[in-house]
Amino acid sequence: MVVVAELRDGRLVEPVREAIGVARSIGGAGATVIGVYVGPPASEGVGEFSRAGLDRVVAVEGEPFARTTSSARARTVAELLRELAPRVVLLAGTSEGRDLAGRLAVEWEAGVATNVTAVEPLAPGPIQLTRPIFGGRATQGLELPGERAVLALRPHTFPPAAASADAAPVERRAPTLPQVPVGAPTMTGFTASATGRGPDLAEASIVVSGGRGVKTPENFAIVEALAESLGAAVGASRAVTDAGWRPSSLQVGQTGKSVSPQLYIAIGISGAIQHLVGMVSSRVIVAINSDAQAPIFKVADYGIAGDLFQLVPALTAEVRRVRGR
Amino acid sequence: MEIVVAVKPVPEAETRLRPDASHASLDPEGVKFVLAGYDESAVEQALLLKESTVGSRVRVLSFGPAPRTEEVLRAAVALGCDSATWVEHPSDLLPDAVLSARCIATAIAGPFSGLVLCGRQSGDEEGGIFAGALGALLKVPSLGYATNLRWKEPRGQLTLQRSIEGGLEEVESSLPLVVGLQQAWNDPRTAKLPNILKSRKAAIEKIPWEATVATLGPHAIPGTVRRTFRLPPPRTGAKMIRYDSPQDAAAQLVRLLREEAKVFP
Ligand SMILES: Cc1cc2nc3c(=O)[nH]c(=O)nc-3n(C[C@H](O)[C@H](O)[C@H](O)COP(=O)(O)OP(=O)(O)OC[C@H]3O[C@@H](n4cnc5c(N)ncnc54)[C@H](O)[C@@H]3O)c2cc1C
Repeated sequence: MVVVAELRDGRLVEPVREAIGVARSIGGAGATVIGVYVGPPASEGVGEFSRAGLDRVVAVEGEPFARTTSSARARTVAELLRELAPRVVLLAGTSEGRDLAGRLAVEWEAGVATNVTAVEPLAPGPIQLTRPIFGGRATQGLELPGERAVLALRPHTFPPAAASADAAPVERRAPTLPQVPVGAPTMTGFTASATGRGPDLAEASIVVSGGRGVKTPENFAIVEALAESLGAAVGASRAVTDAGWRPSSLQVGQTGKSVSPQLYIAIGISGAIQHLVGMVSSRVIVAINSDAQAPIFKVADYGIAGDLFQLVPALTAEVRRVRGR
Repeated sequence: MEIVVAVKPVPEAETRLRPDASHASLDPEGVKFVLAGYDESAVEQALLLKESTVGSRVRVLSFGPAPRTEEVLRAAVALGCDSATWVEHPSDLLPDAVLSARCIATAIAGPFSGLVLCGRQSGDEEGGIFAGALGALLKVPSLGYATNLRWKEPRGQLTLQRSIEGGLEEVESSLPLVVGLQQAWNDPRTAKLPNILKSRKAAIEKIPWEATVATLGPHAIPGTVRRTFRLPPPRTGAKMIRYDSPQDAAAQLVRLLREEAKVFP
């Protein structure tokens, strides 16, 4: 089994630990799990990777990788896969991992599935998988019949592997293929999330979203305060982003981001179908809305009918109280 | 610039999903298939680029069964695409993203030096595999999650942004390139009536399945087998919290999240 590393700001991203956990659980006791890192030199990140529960690590580091996007790295990863010959390659289901998945499927001639939420333990025969489709409104059971498979896992679905006390051996190699092929896309800049603080929307395990019911851009601070108390990411309905109260990067729904956190709190959001498709697959949904008939209550697990301007600050205070800050 | 847009007909967002008799996939009976979501953004982006560069043409391609694929291609022509190619497959075939990419790559044919746009994931199965697979097949770079493509004339460079975890990445690239589009935030254009009428008569190049099978050989079989299509148990509606004061409501909710739902640390 191979797990491909992804680092951000030089640190291992959490979904990679989840992928290692899955590799361990589907491979059974005898399985070897090899970590592959292809990217810019990153001694700290590769060190972290080597202590994340792997048997060994192969790292191909090269400075120019820092400016490339995943398609340039895919060739190097595919070359390593041909040599390591695993049955399954697991990727974090981040934007990076999913961009890589389709390329690897062709370059390494493997079956591929993304957004995977369940994998049966490996046995002879096809690999059996489950994944949500249609924004979580349906679940698909899939079989990959081939000898090789590339799987990108849905973040926050699987428990992360426990870190190991001892580091797995790391074999460092110099890149042999061109790192930035002529004409390849190169990164020229990066602007950190508009939210700045707090976890990113697509990755957060708790999301607190506000809608038109918040009424003004200034009032949106009520939503943000609750998010902060929970360590949650902030989201918004399109009514909010269209009005320019908050940037479009926060929009959840059909024309925004799809999220599936452990907990989604919808504040002053009516629950239009275009919003719902972006969040119904959340594990637990809470709605706060003054209209007891609002459609959002049909998909929510817990509802409070009432005025958000009173309820949300009370909730923020209660969260702070139980969390002792 | 040669711009190719690859689109997939998908059920409109309001569709009530039902499994078919085999319980392996969506029952297409009565479902309206449309050009939607990410693909709509890809078409819009293609047209914006065409309008901002001299001598560009937009060719729209789709791989799918009758009649939905032809309808979606006509919708794209009505929006302003210059030509359309339909790679047909039998309606009982359930292709996966890699097979779709192979078929589209075959239809693009020859050494490709332009720009391919598609949605960063399909509006139904949401795999996000197609752009990467197509890039690998055409042997050109690929990237997804893109918005805001601009063509910089003097140097012949494309600039774009990628909306990814943690922020916005700025990317510069030359062509050829395959790009998976994030949803455009601005509402894409809608077709004008005369153009809709004209699109009904537009010539659509059709590549029959037999021709594709002849080209792809053993690769014409999907590498993915759909086994089940399940709907989640219907959500039965929220447990409504009755309360005396906002403080009481807050305390009850926090207790439920901790003790019953177990989502609260
Ligand atoms: C093609 C298309 C794509 C779309 N894509 C998206 C998308 O990606 N994401 C998205 O969100 N929408 C999308 N929409 C828009 C969607 O249809 C809704 O218009 C939008 O979600 C409404 O946002 P809202 O719930 O914040 O506002 P509203 O529907 O106006 O709801 C506001 C809610 O706030 C409640 N409220 C008001 N005052 C208070 C108070 N004091 N206390 C508590 N509650 C209060 C009201 O009861 C109401 O339920 C799309 C629409 C189309 C046509």
